[in-house]
Amino acid sequence: MTSHGLKKILSGLALVALLAAGAPAFADDTLDRGVGSEWSSLDPQVNFDAAAAWILADAYEGLVNFDSKGALIPGAAESWDMSEDGKTYTFHLRDGLKWSNGDALVAQDFVNGILRTLNPETASEKGYYFYSTIQITGASALANGETADTATLGVTAPDARTVVVQMETPAPHMLQLMGSFQLAPLHGPSFAANGTATFIDPALVVSNGAYVIKEVVPQSHVLLERNPTYWDAANVKIPFVKYHVTEDVGTELKRYQAGEIDITYDVPLAQMDSLMTDLPGQLLTFPSTYLIYYSFNLSLPPFDNIDLRRALSLAIDRDVLEGKIVKGGAIPTFSYASGFDPAYSGPQIAEAAMTQPEREALAQELYAKAGFGPDNPLKLSIASTVAEINTKRANGIALMWKKVLGVQTEVNAQERKAWLDLFYTDDWGVFADNLVGDFAGPETFLSYMRPSAEPGYDWVKPEYDAAMDVAAQIPDLAGRYLALAAAEKILLEDYIFAPIAIEPYRHLVKPNVKGFEPSVAGYHNSQFMTLD
Amino acid sequence: MIPFVAKRLWNGLLTLAALASLTFFIMRLAPGGPFSRNRKISPEVQANIEAAFHLDEPVVRQFARYIWGLMRGDLGPSTRFRDYSVNDLIASGLPTSLTIGFWAILVAGLVGIALGLAGALRRNGWTDYAAGTIGVIGIAIPIFIIGPLMQAYFSVYLGWLPVGGWNEGWRSLVLPVLVLALPNIAYISRLTRSSLIESQRENHVRTARAKGIGPTRVLWGHVMTGALLPVIAYLGPACAALITGSILIETVFALPGIGRFFVDAALNRDYPLVMGITLVYGGFLIVFNILTDLVRGWLDPRVRHGT
Repeated sequence: MTSHGLKKILSGLALVALLAAGAPAFADDTLDRGVGSEWSSLDPQVNFDAAAAWILADAYEGLVNFDSKGALIPGAAESWDMSEDGKTYTFHLRDGLKWSNGDALVAQDFVNGILRTLNPETASEKGYYFYSTIQITGASALANGETADTATLGVTAPDARTVVVQMETPAPHMLQLMGSFQLAPLHGPSFAANGTATFIDPALVVSNGAYVIKEVVPQSHVLLERNPTYWDAANVKIPFVKYHVTEDVGTELKRYQAGEIDITYDVPLAQMDSLMTDLPGQLLTFPSTYLIYYSFNLSLPPFDNIDLRRALSLAIDRDVLEGKIVKGGAIPTFSYASGFDPAYSGPQIAEAAMTQPEREALAQELYAKAGFGPDNPLKLSIASTVAEINTKRANGIALMWKKVLGVQTEVNAQERKAWLDLFYTDDWGVFADNLVGDFAGPETFLSYMRPSAEPGYDWVKPEYDAAMDVAAQIPDLAGRYLALAAAEKILLEDYIFAPIAIEPYRHLVKPNVKGFEPSVAGYHNSQFMTLD
Repeated sequence: MIPFVAKRLWNGLLTLAALASLTFFIMRLAPGGPFSRNRKISPEVQANIEAAFHLDEPVVRQFARYIWGLMRGDLGPSTRFRDYSVNDLIASGLPTSLTIGFWAILVAGLVGIALGLAGALRRNGWTDYAAGTIGVIGIAIPIFIIGPLMQAYFSVYLGWLPVGGWNEGWRSLVLPVLVLALPNIAYISRLTRSSLIESQRENHVRTARAKGIGPTRVLWGHVMTGALLPVIAYLGPACAALITGSILIETVFALPGIGRFFVDAALNRDYPLVMGITLVYGGFLIVFNILTDLVRGWLDPRVRHGT
């Protein structure tokens, strides 16, 4: 070989080395996950959004945990017992649990977590899980600031490995609220010494989950590293997890296509169809606990007329709306609390069994009966947010109401914060409403509709409250679900809203990522995933 | 010179004070608040949360509290990003915005002036047409079109550069800087070209030529100084706008700059964060305007003595 040839090869090699050094470092030891826009907080007692919940579920472990399909499994507690009346749960912690700094994790750390969530000084929005979703003894008084005596709380630690939760009423769904999102333990000494920096400063963070926080850059990313002190560390396969903030869904899709992100937070609606064909098997959609329904203002005539409300609900062709107009993969529904837990078979509105033309004929009849017709058309406005998916849906419904009934509808699209406030002004006829359930079950939805729970709806129905009270006393799930179904029937019969659809989660997942599976509650712990 | 700067700085301070007051009160006119009711929380708890951020106090009192904090250099807590103070967030986002802005203005200035020069010296030649075409493209195609197009080509198709994020050093800079610089290259090149052409016809330039001074010296010593004045006047505010970050660029390229915080803060009624970033923007604008005037005075004595 001539020296000239050698030089050529050497310079070629140098070029390759340069390119390799400059190439993006997407090593296989890091799982890159999209989290949409920036998390509100990494403080486990304060954070209130789904994106941060993923990060925190990796960094902290509650008494229970959720597997790759979102099913409840033991977490920091290896087992638990329920008292006969269903009001007291006793959790038994695993032996030898440790915080990431090596300190022993004790039962009192979980008690401290709940106490801090409820403490008015924390200014957390999450306390309602403990005074409303389930009613833990003393939680409400602590949250309202009526008392500061922590001994009044019905959550205690009789010894280092036992947590006892005492509730006012039996609640079989309470276990769903014992995961890290609602109940992360608090490392008292760190918090006392460093305040909230103990949740975001990698040098100070002390956590108990499968991962620990290594790096936090606001509006950019959070990097997690496997936690060697985690009790099940041997089964955590991926060494690093990086969560990337990408506000714009279009940009997130390109980052996915370029290999910067392995799992996206969302998918651009307009590209759902083409992605299905272009990236077969990578687009994953599955139902969430996000229910879309249209509420009627019961104190504003003519919406106090049940015939009219029923007509409006029946005139909506939900299949066409979601399948042809919105095209976001939402699942049409005629029910309110069904579709989240397969064990619950609740009722649907009475006309669900009809065909759409039959429903529309009945709608026209009811519309006329309510006193409206071609000469006297109903004029109404839908209060929606400005988000594209919501205005699309509202315009679709307006079109159907126009076509079937001749209703003149105006879509009043508001910025989200303004829309939230509008609800309480009563200055709306139809509200493009939604509710995100606290867990994958019917009760989170049904208890929200209790006239005593949500003053915004102006719905007076003692029978419903009574039926819900009956259900609230039943400790076993099957019996409780029967009672809840009876209550839901009362709710649906009043047509105070038109159920529309269940919004899905939409993710793109790289073929080499295993263990990211449909989970209604949206739990996707990285500890159960692998990279091939 | 010093009294000039001192006077301008004092005026700037007054402008900032007016800006702070106006923003504070106008922002509160928008419907909704930072903790607009999440419809599951008990009213008592809601009241507690608002009290923790002093939102229960009369607005005038809140204003006094804010101004007092401001005087101590404390911009308050963020209500949207609960883990951080506004000072923290600005300290975290500003360097990113400044870096991108700095490189964009440098690229825009150098390339823009070079293209303008090429166009003016070889008027109606191919360089002039090429520069003109780039100019039209830069002005006509908005960032949110050209950004995604460049991402699709350079990042997804060719795989040369990252689509977004702030993880790969200079590679993360290339596309945002280019896209941010492009419209400014266009403006600067057009501005340079026309004012150079105009400047070449001026009396002092003709005199210089008549005296027998060589074309290169005429260009750099006589034509350019006059021709650059409008460009400098444009660059001042443009610098402030570019350096304080482009909201669109930061969104399209998922960059952690303060522009993104600004949008997020406004949508979520994070009053302290909106205030903080508004003041930073305002401060930069004022400083760059003063700098522009100083540079113009240095290039053209008429500006200095005329005012």
